[in-house]
Amino acid sequence: MAQLDSEILAALKDIVGEERVLTDPESLQYYGRDWTRFYEPAPSAVVLPGTIEEVQALVRLAASSSLAIVPSGGRTGLSAGAVAVNGELVMALDRMNNIGDFDPVDRTVRCGPGVVTEQLQQFAEQQGLYYPVDFASAGSSQIGGNIATNAGGIKVIRHGMTRDWVAGLKLVTGTGELLDLNRGLIKNNAGYDLRHLVIGAEGTLGVVVEATMRLDRPPRDLAVMVLGVPDMTAIMRVLAAFQGEIELSAFEFFSELALQKVVAHQALQRPFETITEYYALLEFEQPDAAAMERAMALFAHCVEQGWVYDGTVSQSVAQAENLWRLREDISETITPWTPYKNDISTTISRVPEFLAEVEAVVNENYPDFEIIWFGHIGDGNVHLNILKPESLDIDAFREQCGEVSRWVFEIVQRHGGSVSAEHGVGLLKKAYLHYSRDPAEIGIMKQIKLAFDPHGIMNPGKIFDL
Amino acid sequence: MKVLVAVKRVVDYNVKVRAKADGSDVDLNNVKMAINPFCEIAVEEAVRLKEAGTATEVVAVSIGDKACQEQIRTALALGADRGIQVETEGAVEPLVVAKLLKGVVEKEEPQLVILGKQSIDGDNNQTGQMLGALAGMPQGTFASEVVIDGDKVNVTREVDGGLQTVALNLPAIVTTDLRLNEPRYASLPNIMKAKKKPLDVFSPADLGVDVTTHLTQVSVEPPAERQAGIKVEDVDQLLDKLKNEAKVI
Repeated sequence: MAQLDSEILAALKDIVGEERVLTDPESLQYYGRDWTRFYEPAPSAVVLPGTIEEVQALVRLAASSSLAIVPSGGRTGLSAGAVAVNGELVMALDRMNNIGDFDPVDRTVRCGPGVVTEQLQQFAEQQGLYYPVDFASAGSSQIGGNIATNAGGIKVIRHGMTRDWVAGLKLVTGTGELLDLNRGLIKNNAGYDLRHLVIGAEGTLGVVVEATMRLDRPPRDLAVMVLGVPDMTAIMRVLAAFQGEIELSAFEFFSELALQKVVAHQALQRPFETITEYYALLEFEQPDAAAMERAMALFAHCVEQGWVYDGTVSQSVAQAENLWRLREDISETITPWTPYKNDISTTISRVPEFLAEVEAVVNENYPDFEIIWFGHIGDGNVHLNILKPESLDIDAFREQCGEVSRWVFEIVQRHGGSVSAEHGVGLLKKAYLHYSRDPAEIGIMKQIKLAFDPHGIMNPGKIFDL
Repeated sequence: MKVLVAVKRVVDYNVKVRAKADGSDVDLNNVKMAINPFCEIAVEEAVRLKEAGTATEVVAVSIGDKACQEQIRTALALGADRGIQVETEGAVEPLVVAKLLKGVVEKEEPQLVILGKQSIDGDNNQTGQMLGALAGMPQGTFASEVVIDGDKVNVTREVDGGLQTVALNLPAIVTTDLRLNEPRYASLPNIMKAKKKPLDVFSPADLGVDVTTHLTQVSVEPPAERQAGIKVEDVDQLLDKLKNEAKVI
């Protein structure tokens, strides 16, 4: 890949304007990386285009001068998909944040890639509707980035991932061509649906420059239930029992250790006095009294079966929010322990066995490691967190965690799971992709990449090396 | 010692309320309702007195239509022993509420009555004080600490500039402030048990109270919408705008 010279710099400024090209060290640091902190950002410049035409011109320039581009949204990713470590040009889409053309019949709205997730959620609310994809970083992440990573979050069990809410998108490919994919259609079986290849491609096929997003009706009176559960097998029984009768909009879990840390550090109340190994958090609508009656009957059934020891249910919105915080604040709470994190999935039924195997191998080799489990268990997605023991220095900890990763991914492979459930591959998991994708599959991925990006300038080195 | 707590059904305080289009009232259609937060604190305090062995029975009373039984059940799930509903229709003003509560106090003869200092819908902050006057009982309002001491109750009140502690002879009335305690979650087993706890229903006539209202609500309007801010170019422009547009300097 070429480096940036003064000629290219001048050409960039011609396209977007002098003040939209940043090369000061602070901007390079700021725009050059996402929430992954293991890589030293080293982009050559940052450009802030404002229109689709500008993006096309920038990509054409980059293609003709073999300059690599890292598309950049809210940079809240956790797999180093939006990190520029090799003198790439960072294309930050912050300025393309228009939201409009709301259609109440189609229930769709057109968004620039720089629209912040929360902005879309609020826009939907103003129309009496709802954008259901939600996660902790919704206040900073952008729609373009959500599409590039197929962001999931806490409501996937009911509403699916970002993929399910993209009615259409426009993509500037690696040659600067503009593709208008699916145009908001619900039914469109006229050939391959290229839209879905772009979603989750982590910017390796091109730059998403516009998206038509679907909106949903708002939920009616959400109740949050927290249940104390003795073991993972019981959690799965509880999930099956509730899903048989109630449409859950969330089914999360966390361990006693996670709860202890959150309660201590966020000054929150325990949901109940009873201490159990794990806790399940369920969310569901209660449009009428009958809905809660059903949930209570299910609770009673689960207690009788010995799957649940205790529980509580929110009596107000404030209580619902506080119960959610027991789960949502875990990540922030454990940050001071510089935890090793891994985002993995298997089929739902295999989760208990999978967890037990990971615990066994970590406990056997590193008995002083504290493991914190939480995650979207209703989707088969668990977040493994290992806290750094105080006595261990950070480099030694990282090295030992590298070993843990290999064990974890071998177990993932044995269970037919995924090395990245919702965070993507980026740079972080590139070396582990083969644990969940076979060579033939990766080979086809590479051919697809070349079809969209023949010069290999779109976010090169992410997911796989060509 | 018997403790009586009053609970009110109000719009959940996290709900963004809207005025009805005709401005006659707040739109309550399909709006989430909950126990008034100050009343929840009152229930928690009563239950803690019971757990400490100070109180022997906690009775939760609510005034309203059938729906308010939901909030009585919540109080029962939190640990109250039985409930009383005084069935009324439409809005009742603080004086009527105080008179009805006085009727309940005469029936139940509690040693301590704990109420929220106000409800978040009407924001009247009158009921506890009126009940004190009507029932001839001493009152400790805006309590941040309640300590039973023999036949007295010491109530620490949050007043301007500090804390004031008053000693009241029992029977007495206490109204709760925010910092008195942090209410617990109702556990699911307790919610189920609460369904079987006794709940008596009285009419205002049973208590000999006339519920005629003396207040008329004239209109309900939303607050003026906030204008978006602007960015000024420099200090001179800021001064100019403050002087000539905002006219504050």
